[in-house]
Amino acid sequence: MVEMDDLRKTWAEYDRKLDTNIRLSRQLLMATTLNRVRSPLRRLAFFLGLEVVGWGVIIVALGNFIYEHISMARFAVPAVALDLYSIGMLNSLIRQIALALQIDYGKPIATIQKQIEALRVLRIRTIQWGVLAGFVAWVPFMIVVFKAALGVDIYIVISKVTSGMDIYEAAWLWSNVAFGLALIPLAIWLSKKFGDRIGRFPMIQRFMKDLAGYNLNAAADFLATLSEFEEEKRDN
Amino acid sequence: MTTPELQERFQTLVDEHKKILYKVCNSYCRNRDDRDDLAQEIIIQLWRSFGKFDERYRFSTWMYRIALNVAISFYRRESTRTRHVISDEEHLLEAIDDTERQPEDIRLLYQFIEGLDPLNKALVLLYLDGNSYQEIADVLGISETNVATKISRLKKTMKQEFSGTRPA
Repeated sequence: MVEMDDLRKTWAEYDRKLDTNIRLSRQLLMATTLNRVRSPLRRLAFFLGLEVVGWGVIIVALGNFIYEHISMARFAVPAVALDLYSIGMLNSLIRQIALALQIDYGKPIATIQKQIEALRVLRIRTIQWGVLAGFVAWVPFMIVVFKAALGVDIYIVISKVTSGMDIYEAAWLWSNVAFGLALIPLAIWLSKKFGDRIGRFPMIQRFMKDLAGYNLNAAADFLATLSEFEEEKRDN
Repeated sequence: MTTPELQERFQTLVDEHKKILYKVCNSYCRNRDDRDDLAQEIIIQLWRSFGKFDERYRFSTWMYRIALNVAISFYRRESTRTRHVISDEEHLLEAIDDTERQPEDIRLLYQFIEGLDPLNKALVLLYLDGNSYQEIADVLGISETNVATKISRLKKTMKQEFSGTRPA
């Protein structure tokens, strides 16, 4: 019968042999350190920072639009909805940056792996909410962009096209919001159905798995494993 | 310390502890390309964090923490892995005694480690490397008694596994 302690001795012998058997390429080691490659988390924080700037500009522009159209509910309400969406995205991005910058790989494994997984959960949730809410947000987006960029009242344009009358048409807005809402379960179903079949495009596959919730479930499972690992369960 | 001096110090320390790098990479990756990528990611992370290394503590403990944290993240990652510096022809770590020529016990041990989840992989590796329960607890961030309980449980599992693969 083999005991783990016997194997520990075998491992110690193996360890001694490794002293002479393995060689670390100083040249490549130097190239790696000289290359000053940004760590993936720093890189993530940098790109998230760029996104923060983008969302910040959108929020300010929307604030300005709301101020100018405060007395016209049909423009102010969609702009407020878009502003809330943008603030939500900005909030999530700032939290992601804060989490990414907190991660210090020199800290204990249980602590760091929990932080990394919390960051992953936040990233997946942001993608899910960002994309799925985007199905509805495109309607207020059209209203605001047409008005702000071209000075066009899209309600009236739609009314002219559909009924030939020059009136404010709110039904169009609500039917498109309903259509966007109906697309959400369809998008989730499609992601679940085809997420695994796009092996040739790992980025798209990951995105679809994020959307379908598979990656979120995997992250939740790992967090549960971590908690279990940290718990002290005595054997009888 | 100037940057070249810091680099020299870093390279010397990593060279002295290259076995940690080798064993962690071998425990978390099956194929050669992945091992090379992981070794490279660990080195990059070690270099990135080197400025925060507190010289009052053992370098091996700090290196274990970083190497295992990177290895667990690498193991769990689903996206494609990007190579930064090393070409296919060159290897950061060269082993004369490759996997096929490893002693039977070591091969079985790696096989056993491979079957464990990433957290227990770290635990077994630290234990086999002769670290005390206190040191293991320090690297993993769990209590010493928890380490003792887990080791005892793993010993039982290992006994069962090995009794099936080797004669008594």
